[in-house]
Amino acid sequence: MIARVADMCFWFGRYVERAESSARMLASTASLALDAELPSAQIWRPVIVVSGEESAFRERVTESSEDHPAWGDGEIVQRFMVWDRDNGTSLLSSVEGARWNARSIREVLSLEAWEAVNELHLWLPSGVAAAQYRDHREAFYQQVRRTTQLALGLLRSTMLHDEPLDFIWLGVLLERVSQTARMLDVHHHAFGAFDGKNELLENGLWLSLLRGLSGSEAYVKKSSGRITAEGVARFLIAETAFPRSIAYCVHSAYDRLCHIRPPEEHALPGGMSLERLHVLDRWISARAPGERVHEVLTHVVDEIHAICALLGTELFGGL
Amino acid sequence: MMQRQSQSQIQGVVGPLFDHYQSLPDTFDELFEAGAPRAPFARVLELLDSLGKDQLARAQALAENTLLQQGVTFSVYGDARGVEKIFPFCLLPRLIAAADWAPLERGLQQRLRALGLFLDDVYGEQKIFAAGIVPAEMVLGAQSYRPMLRGIKPPGGVRIHISGVDLIRDTAGTWRVLEDNLRTPSGVSYVVENRLMSKRMFPRAFDAARVQRVDHYPTRLAETLRSVAPTGEPNAVVLTPGPYNSAYFEHSFLARTMGLELVQAPDLFVERDCVFCKTTRGPKRVDVIYRRTDEAFLDPEVFRADSVLGVPGLMRAYAAGNVALANAPGNGVADDKAVYPFVPDMIKFYLGEEPLLDQVPTYVCLRDADRAYVLEHLHELVVKAVDEAGGYGMLMGPQSTQAQRDEFRARIIAEPRRYIAQHRIELSSCPTWIGESASVEPRRVDLRPYILTSRNGPWVLPGGLTRVALVKGSYVVNSSQGGGSKDTWVMRP
Repeated sequence: MIARVADMCFWFGRYVERAESSARMLASTASLALDAELPSAQIWRPVIVVSGEESAFRERVTESSEDHPAWGDGEIVQRFMVWDRDNGTSLLSSVEGARWNARSIREVLSLEAWEAVNELHLWLPSGVAAAQYRDHREAFYQQVRRTTQLALGLLRSTMLHDEPLDFIWLGVLLERVSQTARMLDVHHHAFGAFDGKNELLENGLWLSLLRGLSGSEAYVKKSSGRITAEGVARFLIAETAFPRSIAYCVHSAYDRLCHIRPPEEHALPGGMSLERLHVLDRWISARAPGERVHEVLTHVVDEIHAICALLGTELFGGL
Repeated sequence: MMQRQSQSQIQGVVGPLFDHYQSLPDTFDELFEAGAPRAPFARVLELLDSLGKDQLARAQALAENTLLQQGVTFSVYGDARGVEKIFPFCLLPRLIAAADWAPLERGLQQRLRALGLFLDDVYGEQKIFAAGIVPAEMVLGAQSYRPMLRGIKPPGGVRIHISGVDLIRDTAGTWRVLEDNLRTPSGVSYVVENRLMSKRMFPRAFDAARVQRVDHYPTRLAETLRSVAPTGEPNAVVLTPGPYNSAYFEHSFLARTMGLELVQAPDLFVERDCVFCKTTRGPKRVDVIYRRTDEAFLDPEVFRADSVLGVPGLMRAYAAGNVALANAPGNGVADDKAVYPFVPDMIKFYLGEEPLLDQVPTYVCLRDADRAYVLEHLHELVVKAVDEAGGYGMLMGPQSTQAQRDEFRARIIAEPRRYIAQHRIELSSCPTWIGESASVEPRRVDLRPYILTSRNGPWVLPGGLTRVALVKGSYVVNSSQGGGSKDTWVMRP
């Protein structure tokens, strides 16, 4: 397929996944804030950190002050993460990014998937969405999640399972790896300080993180109800049966890339991306329990970044 | 008035849709005659009438919302935030009886054959100048004439693969060609989309009308493109300027419905006079390009060196016969307003036939006698500059001021080749749903049928884009100036 179209498919997937992921994280954080009995900055600041927009928030919103009340003001953080057009990771920016890419590759999308994305694009800036955000926050996030999940499901059930879908899904999976890795890393860092002194509080925090990744019930099933920092980290990094774990997403992404560029077809472009993803896949499955979570996650995030850059030069026609 | 005649026959179906509808005076109404439905449409109009005003208002709102949800929209040009709108349209169809369509179809085929031969001649032997039928300076002096294309034969021998001919109907109901569009005519996607909508909203009336299909247009277009390919298993693509272009929806629509790749100029490159596109599996040869970009931006090596747009070397590949371009570059000389008055003579010259279609009588200011008449009658005429489109560069004589007429007089004398003049034609009108008054009112319309020309000759899509001037009293059907569209139902014989 056309290299530019492949690029836009990839980014379309990333933006849809990012929108879904932001809505999920914001909803679970808002819920946590209600009963966590923690300083609110400790609850809301990680949301900004995970998005990678810490410095923009510091400069534009808190006027470079570290103890500015905005760090702990859920309303300000949510406004920044939902509506701020200048924040490239806001929900609005992700939806607009998804829709712009979708419109540019409308000829490869199915009508059903396109309509789902277009509907979200028309709904979000409308008064209806603003009113729901104001009056019923949970339902607002739910609506965004439903529509993005609908779009992702429709892609698989209504599109040809060939190259365009492979590229879209590659984008979804690599975005998901980054999201999971960053959320786990930030929370691991933030919660690590508690050190088992307040079991009830810690359980609540880890469950909130798991809910933010649609994984609380899955985790409880796999761990027979024991909630520990190591257990949660292990689950989110290595659980091959959980569709948002790093191991699962990296392995699936590798499968997708094998469809796009079969390992034996050496004459085709994409060999370096494929090899690097393969190495990462094997590296993750070789991690032993108890390894330092932060180092593992940093390596994953760096590698995903490098692989995306390689895809750009090898397959998307970049230089 | 419909109820009066039908009440006794159709029990319970007393619809007020066309209640109080009044045709414009001294104007041909497409659907009504002397207050009653035209005979071939009687049954269909009865069914539409029975829907009632409130149901039509609902259907119209639903249809508009559906188009928005489906993204059948165009970008509002120059809007940085990418605002998109739906192309205004009216659900009430325009009907054309089988007996009216057949001669139109033959006339369009004839016209396209002659225009194709004219282009072959202009870029070949130029016999028509030698015969004194068309003045050479009229054509060779046009900005749209491309001397570098002289002697190049397009792959497959076709130059006008896709055309849209704008037709109007005068007070007597006679079809007249207003303009030929032989470069990159747009609008056909709305023909197909409007049809989906009218089938959904008016299934009974549609069924009763026995309407000819239009949804096979993309299939026929794909066949047309394949027929001119230089190679056996052709790779055809659609070339778009990109999502900011106001017709982007249509480019995407055509690529999607033909199953072709939609490419932009940076996706293409030329090597050893062959065109390739950049794919995820390396370069892939391209044999046919349905280009929806202006020819000035096709190839910076040839047309506009200052342009970063385009595909360097594309014209070399074209001249070498390695890629077919649809439409061929250089076609602008044949749809030039200054050349239009000579089309009936071309038909006689190339085909030895009498023209089947009328056109609007036109004064060519380059001719001494015509110019003298025009200068005498500026207050009665519509004067048009030949190289400007979209209703710009015009003098509307009857509404003009003395100062405007003086200005045009000076301009015509200075550059007579640039001007033509016509009497204003009372465009026909068609019953149109007007949301503000929640009623049906007459509005002026034209018709743009689409003609595909393959190796085997021209084929006319039975239908077309009916453009309607939605503003009361307006004659301007252009979408940029308050125009909308209607579905066109061509009835089966």
